[in-house]
Amino acid sequence: MIASDSHEVSQLNELKIDLDAISVIAHYHGNSDILMDEQMPIYGGYAGGLEETAIIDVASSINAFVMSGASWHLDGPVHIRWGSTNTRETLAVAGWASAAISNHTDFMQGNQYYPCAGPCTEMCFLELAAQAITDSASGREILSGVAAAKGVITDKTTGMEARMMGEVARSAAGVDIAEINKILDKLVGSYENNYGNAPAGKTFQECYDVKTITPTDEHVKVYEGARKKLEGFGLVFK
Amino acid sequence: MAYKRSIDAFEFYNRAKTGEKCSQDDWDLMHIPMKAMELKQKYGLDFKGEFVPTNADMTEKLFKAGFDMLLEAGIFVTDTNRIVKYTEDEIWDAIRNPMPEFQLGTGRDAVTMRKRTVGDKRGPLIQGGPTGSPVSEKVFYEVHMSYALEKEVDTIVNGVMMTVRGYPPVPKTPFEILAAKMETRLIKQATAIAGRPGMAV
Repeated sequence: MIASDSHEVSQLNELKIDLDAISVIAHYHGNSDILMDEQMPIYGGYAGGLEETAIIDVASSINAFVMSGASWHLDGPVHIRWGSTNTRETLAVAGWASAAISNHTDFMQGNQYYPCAGPCTEMCFLELAAQAITDSASGREILSGVAAAKGVITDKTTGMEARMMGEVARSAAGVDIAEINKILDKLVGSYENNYGNAPAGKTFQECYDVKTITPTDEHVKVYEGARKKLEGFGLVFK
Repeated sequence: MAYKRSIDAFEFYNRAKTGEKCSQDDWDLMHIPMKAMELKQKYGLDFKGEFVPTNADMTEKLFKAGFDMLLEAGIFVTDTNRIVKYTEDEIWDAIRNPMPEFQLGTGRDAVTMRKRTVGDKRGPLIQGGPTGSPVSEKVFYEVHMSYALEKEVDTIVNGVMMTVRGYPPVPKTPFEILAAKMETRLIKQATAIAGRPGMAV
């Protein structure tokens, strides 16, 4: 890696750190590396409910720059029951925390993506789209993902999820915030009853031609279907 | 009160050896939930079902609550069971002096991270990749190339290789080091073969 790559150090839940991480920070600063400080506050965890978790999120975000001297902070509020960053509650934590940091500091912020559904499913694209809308509208500078299938199943991530993340984020930029909230309410409502039986999706090898690194026709069709559904919820693709 | 010098890793380490003692259970189960609840009540926080805030006053109250959380609670250090505290001025020092816009990557593949605002018309950067998800050794290169081939993607975030030369990369073993080296080299190779050799990881 070179200095202009993002060098990661992670805080621990909640508002904790270990001294190995502090040594790593000293190493990164000694090399003039871009430093990405990561922390995923847990909704329903030690902090408790919605507003409490958002308080922790803001505190962790500020701490990234006090303790780590970070170049940017990688957030990722996650739901304790579903292991997802795309639920109604975790999106609200992310949206509010980002707006609070964006309005009152010049810190750079990112967010990471953990949808419940696996690749090559409409639900996966819709879940990640909800977060891309939230992150783009609430002023985040960089979106990081996507760890489909909650990021725990081997080979269940593909480039197509990142394509959707980019298309949606660009399309949500500049849209009136009241309209953003209406779109999100309908969009999240379309999948939030399915966390417990989210579709497992397919592996990279099943939805890409591995030799040519090209998505299968089926994967492209599912992508197009999700895009149409997002248009139905009011998102205008740019 | 003016601070003697800005917080850095060395000052943090020194405070980690001398700060107030606390057990991890007390921190997790008492300090964090009670202080968060206290600050929620102090500032009257209520998001009223919004995903992205339309109320600037409530957003400011959340910022103040988060600031107070860091100031009043501090950071717990798991190795020493001590709490590192900052002064208000030390926190403001960091807020007033963030890294300005910066570049990720090199050459024509470099992108610039610039400050955005709520409702900004410019889109964010896209860091595409498995984000720490497990990826098998046999398709690690191909999976990461699938992101580098997408024009929507500006930089790469890596997955975790499940084996290296057939062995699990167990922490604190030579295989862990080999896996970290191999992951980085394969991703750099994948971006290069995708025609974007300067893309940041």
